[in-house]
Amino acid sequence: MFLNSVVLILQEILEAALLVSVLMVFSRLDERRPYWLLTALSAGFAGSLLLSLNMANVSEWFDYVGQEVVNASMQYAITLLLALFAFSMSGDRSPGRQRLVTICMVASVAFSLTRESAEVFIYIEGVLSQPSHLQPTLTGAGIGAGIGISVGILLYYSLFWLPRCWITSCCLLLLALIAGNMSSQATLLLTQADWLPPTAILWDSGHWLPENSIPGHLLYALVGYEATPSVLQGVAYAAGIILVALMGWLGSRQRHLKRQPLLADRKED
Amino acid sequence: MTRIIRYYLRFALATLCILLAQTSMAGTPVIELRIKDHLFFPETLEIPADTKVKLLVINEDPTPEEFESYELNREKVIPGNRKTVIFIGPLPQGEYPFFGEFYPKTAQGKVVVTP
Repeated sequence: MFLNSVVLILQEILEAALLVSVLMVFSRLDERRPYWLLTALSAGFAGSLLLSLNMANVSEWFDYVGQEVVNASMQYAITLLLALFAFSMSGDRSPGRQRLVTICMVASVAFSLTRESAEVFIYIEGVLSQPSHLQPTLTGAGIGAGIGISVGILLYYSLFWLPRCWITSCCLLLLALIAGNMSSQATLLLTQADWLPPTAILWDSGHWLPENSIPGHLLYALVGYEATPSVLQGVAYAAGIILVALMGWLGSRQRHLKRQPLLADRKED
Repeated sequence: MTRIIRYYLRFALATLCILLAQTSMAGTPVIELRIKDHLFFPETLEIPADTKVKLLVINEDPTPEEFESYELNREKVIPGNRKTVIFIGPLPQGEYPFFGEFYPKTAQGKVVVTP
């Protein structure tokens, strides 16, 4: 139970930790106080409690595919929010834009946490009914969460080691990857629910990098690695990346037209 | 410009309708899988090759379980004493292991795709 619990919780935490770290870097470059993170964490915590307590009913929605539909909606929402974030972050510094940046950060982290921690809560709730499993599970959960959060913090500080002019581009690239990953995962869920048609397998890298190996798990959490993705997933992944890149470019083009400095690069001017 | 966008939107909508119509076609075989005492019954599910199958998973345990398979690319939580539906396939011939992520030591099974 102990090791299982470590792996399970670590997997769930890593994805959210990656998103939080990247957004925190933007937030610091923008000299924003990290209060938005508190709001996002509380909203995500409340959301995941609500979802996990109602999971039994939610999964019966839409002919027993409610779980897929709800999770996929949240993942598509994260993709769109990140694209909107890239646009408003690269754009001018009007108060309206600033507010939009905050809303995108809070909402994307809240959705990400809702989805990830709901599963953790359901798992722990199930274990609560078996007192003998309780202690190893909770210890494992604590260690898993600790490792996940540490990876997030490590990423946050390593991004600041980069030359300053690279930080924004690297973070945008990571956001684009997260958006692509979310949109690909959502597409997979809708295929599982039979709302989207099954498509052929794009590639099979299962023999040299299995998904259930440690690097496989890590890559899954970081960039959504799958050994046998479908064509539709590939399209969704590319669409997510292009959307974020395009919106970031549109935002910065607008800023250049108005001759205003980039939010994140302001200090250099 | 707006005309081009409108044209593309119409095209996207039409494609979506065709895709949705295809997926909702009837005749998908249903296969039952039960979870009891953190075990899958039956442990081996036989399905025909290149056919989409509706897996009806019934959790008879009071605790939740998560159906997970790397080979099938499937992952879904089944709350205690509830049932759920997971669509799998169409798949080429072969063996596709699955497990219960919450109780992986006992909850193990496989889908065998036969020609």
